[in-house]
Amino acid sequence: MRTARKPPGIGKGQPVLSTHAPQAAHTAQTATLPATLDEAVEALAAMPAAVPVAGGTDLMASVNAGLLRPAALVGLGRISEIRGWQYQDGHALLGAGLTHARVGRPDFAALIPALAAAARAAGPPQIRNAGTLGGNIATAGPTGDTLPVLAALEAVLIIAGPGGARREVPVSHLLAGMDMLRPGELIGFVRLPLLHAPQVFLKATGRTGPGRATASVALVLDPARRGVRCAVGAVAPMPLRPLEAEQWVASLIDWDGERTIVPEALTAFGEYVAAACIPDQPPAEDGSPQPLPPAVLHLRRTVAALARRALGRALS
Amino acid sequence: MSNEAAATAHTATAVETQPGPEPLPHGIGASLPSAESRAKTEGTFPYAADLWAEGLLWAAVLRSPHAHARIVSIDTSQAREMPGVRSVVTHEDVPGQALHGRKTADRPFFASDVVRHHGEPIAAVAADHPDTARMAAAAIFVEYEVLEPVTDPEKAFAAEPLHPDGNLIRHIPLRHGDPEAAGELVVEGLYRIGRQDPAPIGAEAGLAVPRPDGGVELYIASTDPHTDRDMAASCYGIDPDIVKVVVTGVPGATADREDAGFHLPLGLLALTTGCPVKLTATREESFLGHAHRHPTLLRYRHHADAEGKLVKVEAQVLLDAGAYADTSSDALAAAVSFACGPYVVPNAFIEGWAVRTNNPPSGHVRGEGAMQVCAAYEAQMDKIAKKLGIDPAEVRLRNAMATGDILPTGQTVTCPAPVAELLAAVRDFPLPELPKDTPEDEWLLPGGPEGAGEPAAVRRGVGYGLGMVQLLGAEGTDEVSTATVKVHDGVATVICAAVETGQGFSTLARQIVQETLGIDDVRVAPVDTDQPPAGPSCHGRHTWVSGGAVERAAKMVRTQLLQPLAHKFGMSTELLQITDGKITSYDGVLSTTVTEAMDGKELWATAQCRPHPTEPLDEAGQGDAFVGMAFCAIRAVVDVDIEIGSVRVVELAVAQDVGRILNPTQLKVRIEAGVTQGVGAALTENLRTPRGLVRHPDLTGYALPTALDTPDIRIVKLVEERDVVAPFGAKAASAVPVVATPAAVASAVRAATGRPVNRLPIRPQAAVAT
Repeated sequence: MRTARKPPGIGKGQPVLSTHAPQAAHTAQTATLPATLDEAVEALAAMPAAVPVAGGTDLMASVNAGLLRPAALVGLGRISEIRGWQYQDGHALLGAGLTHARVGRPDFAALIPALAAAARAAGPPQIRNAGTLGGNIATAGPTGDTLPVLAALEAVLIIAGPGGARREVPVSHLLAGMDMLRPGELIGFVRLPLLHAPQVFLKATGRTGPGRATASVALVLDPARRGVRCAVGAVAPMPLRPLEAEQWVASLIDWDGERTIVPEALTAFGEYVAAACIPDQPPAEDGSPQPLPPAVLHLRRTVAALARRALGRALS
Repeated sequence: MSNEAAATAHTATAVETQPGPEPLPHGIGASLPSAESRAKTEGTFPYAADLWAEGLLWAAVLRSPHAHARIVSIDTSQAREMPGVRSVVTHEDVPGQALHGRKTADRPFFASDVVRHHGEPIAAVAADHPDTARMAAAAIFVEYEVLEPVTDPEKAFAAEPLHPDGNLIRHIPLRHGDPEAAGELVVEGLYRIGRQDPAPIGAEAGLAVPRPDGGVELYIASTDPHTDRDMAASCYGIDPDIVKVVVTGVPGATADREDAGFHLPLGLLALTTGCPVKLTATREESFLGHAHRHPTLLRYRHHADAEGKLVKVEAQVLLDAGAYADTSSDALAAAVSFACGPYVVPNAFIEGWAVRTNNPPSGHVRGEGAMQVCAAYEAQMDKIAKKLGIDPAEVRLRNAMATGDILPTGQTVTCPAPVAELLAAVRDFPLPELPKDTPEDEWLLPGGPEGAGEPAAVRRGVGYGLGMVQLLGAEGTDEVSTATVKVHDGVATVICAAVETGQGFSTLARQIVQETLGIDDVRVAPVDTDQPPAGPSCHGRHTWVSGGAVERAAKMVRTQLLQPLAHKFGMSTELLQITDGKITSYDGVLSTTVTEAMDGKELWATAQCRPHPTEPLDEAGQGDAFVGMAFCAIRAVVDVDIEIGSVRVVELAVAQDVGRILNPTQLKVRIEAGVTQGVGAALTENLRTPRGLVRHPDLTGYALPTALDTPDIRIVKLVEERDVVAPFGAKAASAVPVVATPAAVASAVRAATGRPVNRLPIRPQAAVAT
């Protein structure tokens, strides 16, 4: 029979399709499905070549593209302890296995609005249903939508290691490569402060439908410490924090009153942030200023507009 | 959620229709549903990628990683030795013609000495597992001497020849009227159109099965099976009679489907191994393999008088054909002929070139040539309107073409050309309400529901696009189609090699037979090349020539059916009438059923449809090159975030010249599909190829319009003015909305931002304003 569809059961072991291919021996894949974080770490320790997989939205795309051929997989989908969140002295402890879809829901949005907004913007529903917070951090893609929010909130990762070990790493250290995940380690939880104040995540994309960010801005207010924290995503390999701009604008906000600011300061803040993240070209040898290429200039304008709008919305 | 909603809706309709079964729609003018849509929705439709044969092997094609390189050596020994590999073929194994091509045979089966574009096939492997095949293809060692690629079409003229045929594929210097004519008003512009990819959602796939007689059968989703068969036979060096192309499961096509670079090797591997061989292209291979829309550079100068009437158009149109000629000469003919648009232009001087570069090859994508020039001439019309300070729609109306006017090619427009009527219809259609008049949660600002849109920065713009396309192949192409209609046992069968690509041909064929023979149960046979040729599926051909052939064959069957009755009652067959399976005479004396009249007989008839011939454009670009033309007018309403430059198309109002409506639902769907493809070309679709290398060949990097990007599409008016030379007077509807939409969107963005917008797709930095 030629047309119609495959008869069921075609694959391994069927005489019609032999698989005595040379690579068959080392792609004989084993997948384990541990039920706890420590079991998962043990499984990774037992099989150093194994790759952990949560939502698989990045990993499986690499496998399908032939870029990655994992010898074994450790599935993290059954670890219930990392699929929820709990409260810990003024902080939220989020499981790394929380999906974008879960994080985007209104009950979570009441807790950490910017993270919920970023999760809602992270691709189409199919991706959001599968992709996880921990996966977004581990992939550390430049356009990872939750990353600028985590950077702005100064999130701390709780990393599980062999033998029940736990260590804490600031998210920015991991993203900057200052502190890497060691072999056999897994991101278990993400600790974020609960600020009880407006937070904004804004993202510019190339189309109206879901798309990768061309630039994104996360901005959170911290009234207790009278601070504004902002991170810019997608313009660099990791989210960028314009620290000087943050401090400058925080000093202009009337924290004791209605948290207002003059409109000119919003514009100036946007430009300050953009110039910090997308600096001018160094001048030419003769000292004349070098203009930015038009596409970069547009990116800078976009970041300025996003930062201005983000602060405006947070203070409105 | 939507599943539940659909299920509820389904039950609801089922309940409603229970009391009295509605008669199913049938015949011309009815909204007959497509026979395949149900299977496609339910996931039971067998696509080419679902094919299976006992003992099949899997193929993989090795493609060039360079845009331009000399091949020093190809070493396949390592790949051949891999366990599981059954055959490795390179240019040395091609038994027949080394070169093939749709119009000109200039493309090598496998690259032998030079690779001319990224993704050009070099070798192919058959193995017993798809991974083995891919690994073996990767294990073929090719030594390249990388050459500087020519990627700028303007530099192709002076560059070293990239091919023995030279770099100039075609040049048309169209001259029409008085070169000295000049207007009081002159506007100029330089426009660039990007590389749109047809991006078929079902990637290319196929199965080749060797035949006992030494031939091969190719099961592929071809849109032009006979040409594909002939190319395959000449490359394999065997008689076309023993090569058979069977068209299976086309998952939609807006261009030539099935890239010869993969189905030719597939058949060759089946011939060398004696086993069935299958290949399913990855998304990356799909992007690398098939032809794209021609990236185009256009320079325009329009002369107009003080009233805005066009006096003269001077233009240069440069098409980047990529590495091989494919159908670029046709695209150039369309671009040059329609360079002034559906406007009356007494004097026109258009220079058109299609040149060879090291970019991926360009070919047939619907509306080719016409879409690129439409974006440019409509931008020019906007400039004239702005200079004169009059309404853009008014300038267009003053110049609108009508039946009897002359194209710059010297051809008189004899078909209906209701351009002014179409434009007036979209202009007078009420504008959509502003977001501020609707509840805030319903706002969909540029940037999307989770985007950064800020109402204060959003500007609305309205713009127009008038487009025209040719119907059928041009310049003396023998446009012919053959169809057979068989009636037996109350069932009619249509046998015609016109491929149902989603354009609705099989539904139309059923409607034609229902209308002519009064038989409701009509089946359309699957297509293969044992049937007489029906030609490619493009330029609305099948609605015209294949539809015409089906009608004639059905009429012949009708005569065969009615002749004995007419003879018996001493009247001519014209006085008999078939409705709802009953035959009645004009006076009501005779009344019988079709089944009775058939009397167990089997009736067959075969007929051809061949429209009046056309002539090639001469050395001055003059000639009656087109059989027919179709027109449409589109009004676009866009919202632009002028700080970020994000654009959302709010609404597209479409008025189209359709000749006659054959199937209202399908017509609407075709127009909506065309408009959506146009929105992609206007805003997001551009396959980037820096230095000739295809970047981001995936559907994340290549952004097709999603449901959120697609605006409300309002079909404002369908002008039914029958084209007397076309069967049923109908004009195919798919291509012309693709042509006019990008121009209309660009025009609207121009109105919103005041920026020139001279590049498609529109980049965000071109849509920012202060």
